[in-house]
Amino acid sequence: MFSDLILRNSKRSRKENGLFFSSLVISIVAFYLILSLSKQDVMMFLQKMESDAVNKLLLLVPVFYVLTLGILFFLIYFACKYQLQRRRHEFGVYLMMGMRRGTLFSLLMAEDLISSLLALVIGIPVAVLLSEIISLVTAKTVGMGIIGHRFSLSGSALVFTIVGFLGIKLAAFSILSSKICRQEIGGLLGDEPEVTKKQKPQSVYILSFFGGLALLAAAYTMAIGGTAWQIPGMMFVTELCGFFGTLLLFYGMRILIQFFAKMGTGKLRVFNIRQLEENVIHQSTTMAISSLLILAALCCFGAGVGIVGTNAQNDDHVLDYTFDSYDDIPSEEVLPTVQTMLEEQNLAEQFSDLLPMRIGHIRTTDAYEGVFQMDSVMDAIAALPNSYEQDVLLNNLSYTDKPYLIMQSDYNKLLELAGKPTLDLAPNEAGVYISADFINTERTKILNQIFSTHPEAQLDGAQIFLTGELQTTNLVTDRSITLSFALILPDEQFRYYTQGKYNVYVNGVLNHETVNEIGLMNAISQVNNRLDGANLDGKGISYESYLQNMGRSLFYMVAAGYITIYLAIIFLVVANTILGVQFLMSQRKSGRRYKTLVRLGADYAVLRKSGRNQVQWFMGLPIAVAAFSSLLGVKAIVKGALAGRVGGPQNAIMLVSAAMILLLLVVEYIYITLVKRSSDRYLLTLMQPQREE
Amino acid sequence: MEPILNIENLTKVYGNTQSQTTALNGMTFQVMPGEFLGIMGSSGSGKSTLLNCIATVIQPSGGSISVQGKSLAKLGGKELAAYRGKTVGYLFQNFELLDNLTARENILLPTTLHEVSEKESRQRLKQLADYLEIADVLDKFPTQMSGGQRQRVATARALILHPRLILADEPTGALDSKNAKNLMEKLSGLNEEEQATILMVTHDSNVASFCKRILFIQDGVIFHELRRGEESQRDFYERILQVMAQLGGGSSNVL
Repeated sequence: MFSDLILRNSKRSRKENGLFFSSLVISIVAFYLILSLSKQDVMMFLQKMESDAVNKLLLLVPVFYVLTLGILFFLIYFACKYQLQRRRHEFGVYLMMGMRRGTLFSLLMAEDLISSLLALVIGIPVAVLLSEIISLVTAKTVGMGIIGHRFSLSGSALVFTIVGFLGIKLAAFSILSSKICRQEIGGLLGDEPEVTKKQKPQSVYILSFFGGLALLAAAYTMAIGGTAWQIPGMMFVTELCGFFGTLLLFYGMRILIQFFAKMGTGKLRVFNIRQLEENVIHQSTTMAISSLLILAALCCFGAGVGIVGTNAQNDDHVLDYTFDSYDDIPSEEVLPTVQTMLEEQNLAEQFSDLLPMRIGHIRTTDAYEGVFQMDSVMDAIAALPNSYEQDVLLNNLSYTDKPYLIMQSDYNKLLELAGKPTLDLAPNEAGVYISADFINTERTKILNQIFSTHPEAQLDGAQIFLTGELQTTNLVTDRSITLSFALILPDEQFRYYTQGKYNVYVNGVLNHETVNEIGLMNAISQVNNRLDGANLDGKGISYESYLQNMGRSLFYMVAAGYITIYLAIIFLVVANTILGVQFLMSQRKSGRRYKTLVRLGADYAVLRKSGRNQVQWFMGLPIAVAAFSSLLGVKAIVKGALAGRVGGPQNAIMLVSAAMILLLLVVEYIYITLVKRSSDRYLLTLMQPQREE
Repeated sequence: MEPILNIENLTKVYGNTQSQTTALNGMTFQVMPGEFLGIMGSSGSGKSTLLNCIATVIQPSGGSISVQGKSLAKLGGKELAAYRGKTVGYLFQNFELLDNLTARENILLPTTLHEVSEKESRQRLKQLADYLEIADVLDKFPTQMSGGQRQRVATARALILHPRLILADEPTGALDSKNAKNLMEKLSGLNEEEQATILMVTHDSNVASFCKRILFIQDGVIFHELRRGEESQRDFYERILQVMAQLGGGSSNVL
């Protein structure tokens, strides 16, 4: 009989609070996803080569885990509190009938445990499946192929998910249950005393509304202007301004609603606005915090997408390997040495191409200043209308006194491999090379325009002409080796100016068939294994593969993407659940009002519309404030977090905001629809008359 | 003259086949336009069930209710909502004002629900507010008013659409005697001046003495009927007390 009661009550709670229950399932999924990060294919792979960075990230996982636990604890505490409040009368009756307080407490705990276990039973399989899908998809996109994938169930993740979830659930619920159980029977049986909030003078609210707006404006000026990112401590001030600004804004928002109430017409419009006003008055802090959480979610998501997107963008992959030699090998011996070594290791056929890249200094003079001059180019830039890009170019190009030199034939081979048009140079001509990191589309456009006029320049006293398009193709696999300015010279001129002393990097491209067959990542790691066993140090050779290099950027991409998106989901789930549960609870509290409306002749369609309108406004207000703030937030993110990463700021803003808006639309649509449905269902029950005594 | 309300052989049975409670056991009566009819009976006699059936809050198990010649059983959806809002006005024991709406908004709620023109409803509001002496509380919220003011605001809301029939369920149940008297005077005034038809459930003999006719109900049937002739309210009250003594709260039949 006792267990029947537990089962029935538990089922009823889940039914009445489906929204809360599904949020619990989502939070279980989120727990497992973050905890099983170390078991993701990409992460396991990266751990081999970037073990330091990966380990640092994995050290952060517990921090995120605890942070999430904290946030979810409050969500659960808060949602359960309302759930229990509504059943006060029922508990009073149990106690009146002689149930002992201890029994009531265990009854409540048992009810909750059943719901928690059910949430785990649904959540864990979903989480495992989802983490497998994510693992497969990321592995596939970075070219590891499916072959390397193995089904991985992370035992520790599972244990911590279950322990963490049950832990906070039980902690929150036991605090609440013991509070309920300790109350007097009379207090439980009677109606909850209506707490009427004292109204302050109107001017307080007006002041708070506009003060909130002012604080928010200040916060965004600091974030977008860059002050927040540059001066230490200012970030904290900015965040404080934003936080209290939002609180004040929602506290004063009743002014706005009262204003609307005065112009109310239409069926139940006044009623809807008054209901909304009541919610805003009683729950302004909750709404403000939910709004901030949604904003935080949007910004996290935006930053994550921005980082992933921009990293993926500048991936211009041609070379798989670069072999470098120590200084004791003469320049012309480097290529043969590498070739012999590869043949010894039976690796020669793994490479479809081996191409040297010769790079040197100007050695025809000992001078350091004024060896290279391109006044005509500088003048042409200076003659352009003033702009930020012009400023950057003038500054960057003023350090080109003694540029590096690149051999034309080597560079053309690279261009051929990359499928780009080659560079034609007459003996007195030179091409200009600047690594992609130092340039963007706007600057490239400016320079190309100038180069198309064949400007004149001086190289160690000789007249040369700059020609062709600006060159940016990476010279070696290692992305951290860059040249801020170099000249590409015809082979003969190159040999003359370098006096035959130059560095040789041997670039290798792996066989396409092998790569297609087993995936790039696997192909490279196979070759790496052989090379590592070949005592390259003794032969005076070192190597760098695309993988190490790719691994680094991949790591940042996966780590940043994974964590920001994870936080975004948690924040969104928590904010929406708080709003949804809050609304439905207050709707139930005002159930009597709806009954009166029915008596006054409101039919179900009218009530349903009224409920839906209220959901829209109640959830819409915080969302709208968050969405508006996030528009400014994108600017702040681009300015701060993504500064320097992004090719064109316009691009990034478009990408980031598109992603945010899409996310917001999808998630909010789902949540608002869910809350509306619950509201409909509740109102329908009010249409059936009940005998009240 | 056509009766405004015609109830024939009305029955209402609560519960399932195993444990049935008969709340109304074949009740028949009529209400004429302009009547002020009281219904008295002890707790559980079926008076609230009767009122709820007329208000279409619950469905009768048998018999028929017709208002202005139209059977309520045949109304559905929109007509039913219109009936609840326009044809009848309901006065509750607990006022049932929406406490987050001002008095004015509460009173005008039915007009927006039934799309009555604003000008017309504003006129009616002023007239009612003056008569019921609530003009100065129109912009206050229910929590800022006295019980008497609240019930008078509720009365204004019940009357705003000129209902053909006012149903009042223990309207003075939550009022002190002074406020109760004041409200009853207003109601009987409306009955006299506007020929408003009122059907009121009460078990307070004092309140009932304002009616023109009283039906006494016991165990779901009409047990007795009193009509107030030319006698004074005081004498009518004495007569009510006598019947009540016979009824004895239902105990005389038990003993």
